[in-house]
Amino acid sequence: MKNVRLWLAVSLFAAAHAHAAAVNVPVVYDKMPNGLKVVISEAHAAPTVTVAVYYGIGFRVEPKGQTGFAHLFEHMMFQGSEHVKKFEHAKIVEANGGNLNGSTRLDYTNYYETLPAEGLETALWLEADRMRSLDVSADNLKNQQNVVSEEVRANVLNQPYGAFEWLDLWQNANQNWFNAHNFYGDLHDIDAAKIDDVRTFFKTYYAPNNAVLTIVGDVDPAAVRKLVDKYFASIPQQSIPKRPDVGEPLQTKEKRINQTDKLANLPALAFGYHLPDQQSADYAAAVLLDFILQGDDSSRFYQRLVKEKQTSIDWGGGINYELGNEFDYDGPMLMVSRTTYKPGHTADEILHEVDAIVSDLQQHGPTAREVADAKVRFRSSFYDSLETTGGKANLLASFALFRDDPSQINKVLPIFDAVTAAQIQSAAQKYFGASNRTSIDRVPAAKEAK
Amino acid sequence: MIKPVILCTLLTTSVFAQATPPPPAPPRPINWPAISESKLDNGLTVVLVPLHNVPKITAVLSLLAGRGTAYKTQPGVAQLAGRVANEGTSTRTSLQIKQELRSIGGSLTVGVDNDATTLSASSLSDSAPKLLDIISDVARHPAYPKSEVVLAKTNFAQEIEEERSSPDFLAQEQLDKALFGGHPYGFTVPAPAAIRNVTRDSLKTFAATYYVPNNAALVIVGDFNVATMRAEVAKAFGSWKRVALPPAPKLVLPVRDKRQIYVIDRPGSVQSTILIGAPAPPRRSPDYIPLRTTNMIYGGAFYSRLTRNIRESKGYTYSPFSTADLRRAAGTFTAGASVRNEVTGPTILEMLYELDRMRVEPVTAEELQSAKTYSIGGMELELESQSSLASRISTIYVDELSRDFLQTFRDKVAALTPADVQRSASKYFDTYRSAIVVVGDYKQIKDQIAPFGDVKLVK
Repeated sequence: MKNVRLWLAVSLFAAAHAHAAAVNVPVVYDKMPNGLKVVISEAHAAPTVTVAVYYGIGFRVEPKGQTGFAHLFEHMMFQGSEHVKKFEHAKIVEANGGNLNGSTRLDYTNYYETLPAEGLETALWLEADRMRSLDVSADNLKNQQNVVSEEVRANVLNQPYGAFEWLDLWQNANQNWFNAHNFYGDLHDIDAAKIDDVRTFFKTYYAPNNAVLTIVGDVDPAAVRKLVDKYFASIPQQSIPKRPDVGEPLQTKEKRINQTDKLANLPALAFGYHLPDQQSADYAAAVLLDFILQGDDSSRFYQRLVKEKQTSIDWGGGINYELGNEFDYDGPMLMVSRTTYKPGHTADEILHEVDAIVSDLQQHGPTAREVADAKVRFRSSFYDSLETTGGKANLLASFALFRDDPSQINKVLPIFDAVTAAQIQSAAQKYFGASNRTSIDRVPAAKEAK
Repeated sequence: MIKPVILCTLLTTSVFAQATPPPPAPPRPINWPAISESKLDNGLTVVLVPLHNVPKITAVLSLLAGRGTAYKTQPGVAQLAGRVANEGTSTRTSLQIKQELRSIGGSLTVGVDNDATTLSASSLSDSAPKLLDIISDVARHPAYPKSEVVLAKTNFAQEIEEERSSPDFLAQEQLDKALFGGHPYGFTVPAPAAIRNVTRDSLKTFAATYYVPNNAALVIVGDFNVATMRAEVAKAFGSWKRVALPPAPKLVLPVRDKRQIYVIDRPGSVQSTILIGAPAPPRRSPDYIPLRTTNMIYGGAFYSRLTRNIRESKGYTYSPFSTADLRRAAGTFTAGASVRNEVTGPTILEMLYELDRMRVEPVTAEELQSAKTYSIGGMELELESQSSLASRISTIYVDELSRDFLQTFRDKVAALTPADVQRSASKYFDTYRSAIVVVGDYKQIKDQIAPFGDVKLVK
């Protein structure tokens, strides 16, 4: 015992005195006359560059009655622009040694390529061409409607659990349609999209004054800025419609949903709590509480449910779970937990333990060691998100898009380091009561029929 | 309303937009990171690679004991030995390991793949000595506490049950079985009954036999000074004792004499998950780089023939792919796609057609040039991340590649000709002796599959 104690003391000392390197990402930021936000950050650890365009349109605010449209549209951005034929965007990026992709998230749709740095100008030209001029046909649309339908089948309809921990959970936890609709899209809606809808959507949302262009990598910022002017300055701005109200009414009563699953062999449970606003004083405490509850295998949920009670076989979860990180969204958010559990046990048992754990934190707060370790872990995971040019571009673009201030990337850690145990305890009291929770218990269908 | 707007956009563009992509700047020499390799007296290979991108380090300890090691007598022993090693040592409980890791912003996972049991760890760089101490402890002194062994056995069995609901898992397991038969690479997971037979003693014996320094390579990438790190490694691993390894079993790869289709029936499936696979050489073979590049033209890149055909032209699927997965003793070339039931047959037809086309006709100079740049660029992109680079460098040791693999990679790729690619396709895209696995609703797809050859319905 003595030895063990000594170890603990030593490790705490080390954590408390560890030299905490400040984050100092170089940021050059300005807004062009056409409204395009431009962020440039030099990084010379690798001979690469990421060029990313984030448009301020995500699936949260896609048109009512057209579920999945924002994502379907994302596919259309690879179907051709004035000087780049269908799918040639991929051809050109790969011929320059790069990787590319696009993705649709809650509050943005992004397009990015990471290449050896000599491909920088080509990437800028490509992104400018499709920001300026989408050139697609009804045939292209039909083709991508098929592709997206197969994507939904592959990732949702043909998979056990069907991504219920984000798709179904968001739909059930929220009341405002913008937060509560099917983000991937119903196959019927995807199929109903028309080429005119695509053109209108492009015209409405894909304008320079609704976008951030971010360049991170082994480049000279002044030279990059000149190239950005050359390719993007002449793209005209558009009038962007006012963002709809995505506010979510306060949840006052616990919601319990039961689902059956034809493909799953084991039962699973997902649940989510509504979080405080990302820019509120409570947010950093809630993030650290997430680390304490379910940040790793030492955390409270894992230890209680997987190791002690042995009800669950795994434990996962987080903020913006499956969709992003703590900073790349702008609106209502859930902290989600997801577990596959053993037949013979029940969701009730698990939620009972969850409530007991939360209740303990509400009454006694976290231990000093938990708080210190949560901060170290947050720091370490934040470094991970700064490691690649793409990860850095994601944070810079999000802070530029949502806060008009990409330099906030350098101001995150001090905020988290300043959080106290009392603030975490208070966050547990305010946001982690059962009345603020929605859960879905998803059990194998065959089992139920027996 | 819409038309004039579009016209206006086009008019604007015709004035300002540049019609062709700017030519890329000339490629620069790639500065591969300095790799310092040494061997401790106990036989442990130590590879240190500084990469100062973030104040962290990543360490990968590869022990040459894959999941198929000893699987004939004790299926699952390698996987359970790896998994429970992380759940307690002679001086640390499972919880202590995890708490010490979190206090240094660290993590340690143990993975068991075809060739190795791999301890992958990372932490803040200022806590590197502590991280090395934990890795060393887990590798050298796993205690296999009784309660942890019991729990791991139960959970492992449940996880396998869970995985069996995934079409991709079922397809991959069947393909490996088909291509490798009784070779250890043919083994994916044990049957539930076999897990019950694994004992605590067998796990201890397994670790004592294979978790030894002369069977291991430690690769560390990250923000550190080489001399300091070398001293820390010696401190943490220097007293690890060398143990003679058991003789390697003589392994035989099955010979394939015809195409065989395997169907796993999944009633109610709304897609068919299709894999077409064939054996490939070990990674150290001179055929590796040609095959890797050939794969990129076929289906290993986004703008590949397979994607252009069955996704962008026909709309059958979302993510068609192909991979050349070359390992220590042998490899596979695999093409795959998940498609709606009604286009199962047409998809197999196109996948085979594109494979055969590469055997019959040389690729174009433009395609090859793109594949080369893409291949070399992809290797450069791995320099961004500590874990990517650590994995890449680990393959040099696990797969016994030449030590100058990275330094010579660009030249070897650049030298490839269309004839090399065609030769590689002729040898490894052997559709007439391939294994085709389809997981789907057999009743709905039966008639579509039958024309392609002999069908075996697998339970």
